[in-house]
Amino acid sequence: MSETIIESHLAIRKDKWIGKPTKRVEDPRYLTGTARYVADLELPRMLHAVYVRSPHPHARILSVDTSVLPGLGKSVWVFTGQDLRDVPPLIDHVALDNLLRTPQNVIAIDKVRFVGDAVAVVVAGDRYAAEDAAEQLSAAVEYEVLPPVPSVEAANAPGAALLFDDLGTNEIYRQTEKHGDTEKAFAAADRVFTTRFHHNRYGAAPMETRGVLANYERSEQQLTVWSSTQMPHFLRSVIAGQLGLPEHRVRVIAPEVGGGFGQKMCTSPEEIAIPFIALQLGRPVKWIEDRHEHLLAATQAKEEFINLEVAVSNEGKLLGVRGEFIGDGGGYSFNTESALIEPALAAKSFPGPYRIEAFDEEVAASLTNKSPVAAYRGVGWTAANTVREIMIDEIARELGIDPVEIRRRNMLRSDELPYRSVTGQLYDSGSYLESLELAMKTVDYDAFRTMQERLREQGRYLGLGISSYVEQTAWGSDSSAQAGTPLPSHDNSTVTVDPSGTVTVAVSTSCHGQGHETSYAQIAADGLGVDMADVKVVFGDTLTSPYGLGTYASRSAVIGGATVARASADVREQILKVAANMLEANPDDLVIEDGTISVAGTPSVSKTLAEVAYAAYWDSEVRSDEPMLTSTRFYDPPATYANGCVVVLAEVDADTGVVTLDRIVAIEDCGTVINPMIVEAQVQGAIVQGIGGALFEQFVYGDDGQPLTTTYMDYLIPTSTDVPPIEVLSLESPSPFSIGGIKGMGEGGQIAAPAAVANAVADALAPFGARVRKLPLAPDYVLRLMGKIGSPNG
Amino acid sequence: MATNPKQVVTLTVNGEAHEVLIEGRRTLADVLRENVGLTGTKLGCEHGVCGACTVLLDGSAVRSCLIFAVQAEGAEIATVEGLAEDGKLDHVQQAFTDNHGLQCGFCTAGMLMSVHALLAENPDPTEDEIRVGLNGNLCRCTGYQNIVKSTAAAAAAGKAARSSAQAS
Repeated sequence: MSETIIESHLAIRKDKWIGKPTKRVEDPRYLTGTARYVADLELPRMLHAVYVRSPHPHARILSVDTSVLPGLGKSVWVFTGQDLRDVPPLIDHVALDNLLRTPQNVIAIDKVRFVGDAVAVVVAGDRYAAEDAAEQLSAAVEYEVLPPVPSVEAANAPGAALLFDDLGTNEIYRQTEKHGDTEKAFAAADRVFTTRFHHNRYGAAPMETRGVLANYERSEQQLTVWSSTQMPHFLRSVIAGQLGLPEHRVRVIAPEVGGGFGQKMCTSPEEIAIPFIALQLGRPVKWIEDRHEHLLAATQAKEEFINLEVAVSNEGKLLGVRGEFIGDGGGYSFNTESALIEPALAAKSFPGPYRIEAFDEEVAASLTNKSPVAAYRGVGWTAANTVREIMIDEIARELGIDPVEIRRRNMLRSDELPYRSVTGQLYDSGSYLESLELAMKTVDYDAFRTMQERLREQGRYLGLGISSYVEQTAWGSDSSAQAGTPLPSHDNSTVTVDPSGTVTVAVSTSCHGQGHETSYAQIAADGLGVDMADVKVVFGDTLTSPYGLGTYASRSAVIGGATVARASADVREQILKVAANMLEANPDDLVIEDGTISVAGTPSVSKTLAEVAYAAYWDSEVRSDEPMLTSTRFYDPPATYANGCVVVLAEVDADTGVVTLDRIVAIEDCGTVINPMIVEAQVQGAIVQGIGGALFEQFVYGDDGQPLTTTYMDYLIPTSTDVPPIEVLSLESPSPFSIGGIKGMGEGGQIAAPAAVANAVADALAPFGARVRKLPLAPDYVLRLMGKIGSPNG
Repeated sequence: MATNPKQVVTLTVNGEAHEVLIEGRRTLADVLRENVGLTGTKLGCEHGVCGACTVLLDGSAVRSCLIFAVQAEGAEIATVEGLAEDGKLDHVQQAFTDNHGLQCGFCTAGMLMSVHALLAENPDPTEDEIRVGLNGNLCRCTGYQNIVKSTAAAAAAGKAARSSAQAS
């Protein structure tokens, strides 16, 4: 029977499928190798594109001598920035007046601003031939090398070279905002703790790199672009605008997408350049990024400098915080969310699950000669959570308070929610303290402390790290405004029952591994009273899905889920109306169960959905005024906030500085759960990305601005032997604001894991007075923290 | 552009012979994907680290991005497309869907082939042996938890199938 949850206008039908760990319907095509990603697509007469990219971090392009290429214009084609000078540059959309803009030409015209910046595109009939030609052309580009700006410090040093001469500065933003009375808080403080923290630059590194295939049918004036994107409709709008095409003549298809993690939400310059070239040549053109190129030229993430002053009482109560959040934006303040995507989001989310009533934030961002910073799972929130949770542990240690106890003393209680944080984020519901307590009970905290002490006497250093988090989700107009970077939006779904009674659900969110085909089918099956096997979910093609912004920022479960539920409810009503005519009954007296419509209490008076759908389309006696069984519904959700707690148990090898993770326990509360199996796996995956950031991953640049991590032998992502078993436990605090009480999820693990690892290491190394001030915790840094080599700041 | 010489190479893929005319420098991965038309094998790094391109060459797991197609002439090559029979998933594929061992699917083909190689060598691996056996295959989505679980389930299914075969 239908279980009505929360207020009736927000209720969704939750009968048989929602909440069950349902196996994924999309799996067979991946398991049999028949799923098609961009690289797998081939069109007749298709050409292959290869980029020539800058070897210099900062230089002027003096000339590109294309005459070195034999067969130019016959079997090889070249496009430089000059050839694309009429294509408007990409620019961010953030509605902030005092943010300086850094227009990015999709192929550099006069200047390159990072190693990997696009200088030219070479096109040939075969990838090998295109690579050969690109190599030849690379040697025929003449540059005037400019002084590199490899860091924020260098960017703001007197006399620093400017990335954009006309701006007159490399610092494109600095603003202070006060929340509550910090003067009073600091005056009342017993102690003030400070830190200068450097969060590392790491990135999404999806298994599938970026890739674009574009084809222009001149006779139809129709451009079709296949791209490994998270936002097909948005990309269609951008491509139409950039290339001056009517939007109805542009179709964007996101075929299978091999992971995105936020990186594939922004518009890549390549997503404009390749369609432009296809238009010029009138032939299909495919560009598939290789891994070396990806590690050079794809967007990077998470680098921030965070300076904190924290006012506390002797009892460990957090009274007030002053924080400076400085982003290292790279060569361009990237389109969509700008270089503020890290520091602004970090500042607004800083309070997390704690009652912090006074907070001054200073947010800044500078340009440097590195690959631009853009979205990656846990944008800004990761860095904020990392530094806050590390600080809380340090304060506890200094004050002689247990790290669990200090969190208890400052955490918001579930009965205090909804609660508006000092920065304006409206936490809807949650289980902050309950998550912490459940995590500690699961790891058997007291037993761990006993063991830790015993083993320490034997020279073994075990540590336990706690990281509590709040995760902003349901990214729509409300969420983006509360995050500090307003971006109005909405999304749509269309649910249609065809004449045979089977169901097609077309959604504007765009899946890249999250199992949408299963989760949405569960919602539609419950909404309509049919078997999941009778529901087909389609997405990722602007021709067949309604408009919307796609999948990013933990929005799809909330927005896609709600739109599917709302449209399904409409179609259910349409079905019942027709069935009522057929059964000569009142629609209110009818129920749908397992694809059969019957009079409640009289199951013998019934019709199958197939019979009703057939009649709805073909029988003019019983059909409705609008015979099609279909509905399109939108949703622009209120912000929702998931929460949880990650606890890491680790051991540090005192001789080598190697950190071994022994066990991880994660508590996740994302409100109403659609598919627990998928939720659990999202948490595990996110945590392991966070472990990567905590222990291994960093894009390293030399003082000369050269990237030093351009292969998977230098840029290390976690392997199966690097991660311990991860136990995920679920709590469920439905949102009182969103349809169905659903909250988004999937980023919390990444947000929380780095601090949990760092705190475990600091706890293990407490006898050495270790204070973690940067990530990753590579062995040499761990040995420095122990005083075994050099200094911790080395 | 100067044209490089080509040669005819016969590759046996999933039991079927394919004759292809290729440059000597083409990798096995590219030939499988572009000349033979089997795109299930993926390229994730093209420098032998990520394992997405893993195929079996005479039963051994190899990185098809690191060998030339000409080197595979005469060998039995097995790719992901050969695992299911008449649309029925094999026990490893089945274990992966039963245990949610995949998300975006990009590492999956290589992962399945490595699991086959691992279980052929060690039909009853411990959890640690599974982790070591698969640490040459990167996955960015799952955090490996359900991949390890799927592999253990596949091993158990293989064991059950062997004992029922012995019993009958």
